[in-house]
Amino acid sequence: MDLGLLAQYVMNGLMLGMMYALVAVGFTLFFGVLDIIKFSHGDVLTVGAFTALATFIALSALGIESSVVQLLVMLLAAIGAMAFLGAVIARAFVLPLRSAPPLNTLLITLMIGTVLREMVRLFYPDGANPKPFPRLLPADSVNLGGFNLRLDNVILLVAGALVIVCLQLVLNKTKLGLAIRAVAQDEETTKIMGVNFNRIVLVTFAIGSGLAAFAGVMNGLYYNEINFGIGLYLGVVGFSAAIIGGLGNIYGAILGGFLFAALQTIGAVSLPFASAYKDVFAFAVVIAIMAWRPTGLIPEKTSERV
Amino acid sequence: MSEASGDSLVVDGVSTAYDRADVLDNVSLTAAAGAITCLLGSNGSGKTTLIRSILGLTPPNKGHIRFAGVDLTGLPTHRVVAAGVACIPEGRRVFPKFTVEENLRMGAYQESSGSVIAERLERVYRIFPRLAERRQQLAGTMSGGEQAMISIGRGLMQAPKLLLIDEPSLGLAPILVQENFKLIRRINEEGITVFLVEQNVHQTLAISDYGYVLAKGRVVAQGTPEALGKTKEVHEAYFG
Repeated sequence: MDLGLLAQYVMNGLMLGMMYALVAVGFTLFFGVLDIIKFSHGDVLTVGAFTALATFIALSALGIESSVVQLLVMLLAAIGAMAFLGAVIARAFVLPLRSAPPLNTLLITLMIGTVLREMVRLFYPDGANPKPFPRLLPADSVNLGGFNLRLDNVILLVAGALVIVCLQLVLNKTKLGLAIRAVAQDEETTKIMGVNFNRIVLVTFAIGSGLAAFAGVMNGLYYNEINFGIGLYLGVVGFSAAIIGGLGNIYGAILGGFLFAALQTIGAVSLPFASAYKDVFAFAVVIAIMAWRPTGLIPEKTSERV
Repeated sequence: MSEASGDSLVVDGVSTAYDRADVLDNVSLTAAAGAITCLLGSNGSGKTTLIRSILGLTPPNKGHIRFAGVDLTGLPTHRVVAAGVACIPEGRRVFPKFTVEENLRMGAYQESSGSVIAERLERVYRIFPRLAERRQQLAGTMSGGEQAMISIGRGLMQAPKLLLIDEPSLGLAPILVQENFKLIRRINEEGITVFLVEQNVHQTLAISDYGYVLAKGRVVAQGTPEALGKTKEVHEAYFG
């Protein structure tokens, strides 16, 4: 295969990996603080992407044409609204179920996800069909000998990387991050240290859901199209990525996200019929990894649960 | 001691039941301000449940808990801590993946002033030079005795008015146990009210000002250490 095409695949793989990582980090954060899997996570991403789209339409109707302003307001609206939605889900449905078996939380978040998804499909105007997502990033490109490096892709990748670096700083350098990491190790002792546990849970769900909204907007900008099912798919992939990375470990989730994208890319490049089987290939390898390392590549929780 | 006021801890008719063997049945006791009050009792007598009730981790079904004029009953744990109550939990419970310093900083979580936190850190490092040498070591990789230092240091980082200490000598070598009791005395001399839960009768009574004996969730004896040391309840509570 020629280098130009290969570079194209790598770029696409990096972009997918970034989105998967952003979703996987959410799963791993929620598991860290509450030991639960929140299955509505992917659908929160969908709602976030549609919130951004609706914001764009509203801004256009108001006559605001600057794409920089449009994009910033869309991001702010989507991330803010999803952070709020995530906190509401935690407050209203997840925290009250703490004394119930974990299976109940899993089931209730699965149902919330379905409700969110169906609400987008039924109540967003013509929501059952794919919606064009505006091109708001500069479309310039640099030709690197058979490979067009697109500026918008570079911006998306850099922005995604910046978001992950910021999250990293929040977790490792702030008091809030200290509390989140403490809750993940020992909830009760963290409470005894004077940490308001419920608030940490709500903030963590807000952060994770905000990241999902960001990934949703990224998805829209990359494909220039969104539909009500994107979150369902990204949710399953993000969950798998978090699991193979080692649930509860942020680095594991990021690694898992990029690994899954790499598998898809390898599948698309090396298999006959090209991309048709890339998901089959990627999920098959994930299953193999799970059989080989049941607690993930970077196991987090097992060492503590002696 | 009926009208205990000031910064005393007053547990008044507390009953706590939950899905574990330990329960409390109408427990009343007072940890007088500035004193060391101990609670003796064998395993399963309800000692830890009482600590959990005071901290709001397992709120009581009946009765009241007051400290320094604040009714703690039913408050979430972080509000209890805000009232000046700290706890050195049973089994030390250090954060294994945090460094020594991160563990200590967790203790000062409710303190927002950086200079105050730095002062408290220096003080803890003066008490435990061993920890000062190992600020950046992960707590999970340290010995039981060192983890005990972290746990005590973390409690001191809270600068509490009342310190609840749950079984500090459990699992420690005898020489460290002795060190621990000396340290508790010293903490108390700095003006911190201590409520000490222990199984180690003799050394506990030796440093306490007043004591209670808990058996099967009830207070079965109380008095000065000298008096308690001679009662049959103390012996029954452990050997009966």
